[in-house]
Amino acid sequence: MWCIDRNGRREFPGGKEDWPGAARTAVCCAAFYPDVEEEQIADEAVSCYNCRYRRWTAASFTCSA
Amino acid sequence: MRVVLCIDDTDNLESRGTGTLASQLARELEENAWGTSRFITRHQLLVHPDIPYTSHNSAMCFVAEIEEGSLEPLIRHAAAFLARESAEGSDPGLCVVDADQLGDPAPLIAFGQKAKQSVVAMDEAYGLAKSLGIHLSEHGGSGQGVIGALAGAGLRLSGNDGRLKGHMAIDTDNGRATVGKICAHADVDEVRSLDGRHPEGDELVLLGEKVKTVLLDGKSVLLVVPADGAADGVAWQTCSKQQLRNY
Repeated sequence: MWCIDRNGRREFPGGKEDWPGAARTAVCCAAFYPDVEEEQIADEAVSCYNCRYRRWTAASFTCSA
Repeated sequence: MRVVLCIDDTDNLESRGTGTLASQLARELEENAWGTSRFITRHQLLVHPDIPYTSHNSAMCFVAEIEEGSLEPLIRHAAAFLARESAEGSDPGLCVVDADQLGDPAPLIAFGQKAKQSVVAMDEAYGLAKSLGIHLSEHGGSGQGVIGALAGAGLRLSGNDGRLKGHMAIDTDNGRATVGKICAHADVDEVRSLDGRHPEGDELVLLGEKVKTVLLDGKSVLLVVPADGAADGVAWQTCSKQQLRNY
């Protein structure tokens, strides 16, 4: 379940440290697209934390997919 | 002469990354026989609602030793390159620092550290660049990338910020290599543990699938942690991506 921020964007509820959650979410996402190597931070190759469409925020990220 | 070249905000969601453009610029610098460059570093800046960025707000930087008389051609080339190659909708900025002429780098480093903590205006970036004799220019869109470009150059000069772009290809024996062999790689200066210890040259390190270094004390440092289980005489293993994420 995603949160909706004040601008109507979908924000990941697990913050920046929910590694299993980010991986589970990405595995189920048809829009996942790996970001460039230098911007990947998760050890799981398929993770929202490694996705080109995540946009980091202070507490988490929003999804642009 | 030693120069620091940094670029920021050149991409969009579909384009090549800023790091790829930095690599291309570094390669073209050498192809033009202006000099030689070393590794590219990535520097994380503040993520904040008031700052426009594509997805991560990071700048990409490299240091080069260039021939006398090559500075102006390099700047002209890099400026035209960014104007031509940056993605639609991006706000590219270019910073080139003549490190030999800079004098005290402290104000530039302070600016870089400030840009990691707070929102900075373009005017402040241009003002500092002018006062320090640093080339700073915008090449499309709003030009906001000048802030990150200047900040990234300062962070690179600090010697203690950022991860290196790319992975190190190191020959191993069943995934293991000695500290000495790792340091023989052209882009690895040192192996250091997360808690600051310095393993001996004959100590074995279990290398992960993708080996990445970080910038510490001006060096490309491979960070390691004690090996799980410490089997087969392996004392150390490389850090995971997650462990390196804050660099």
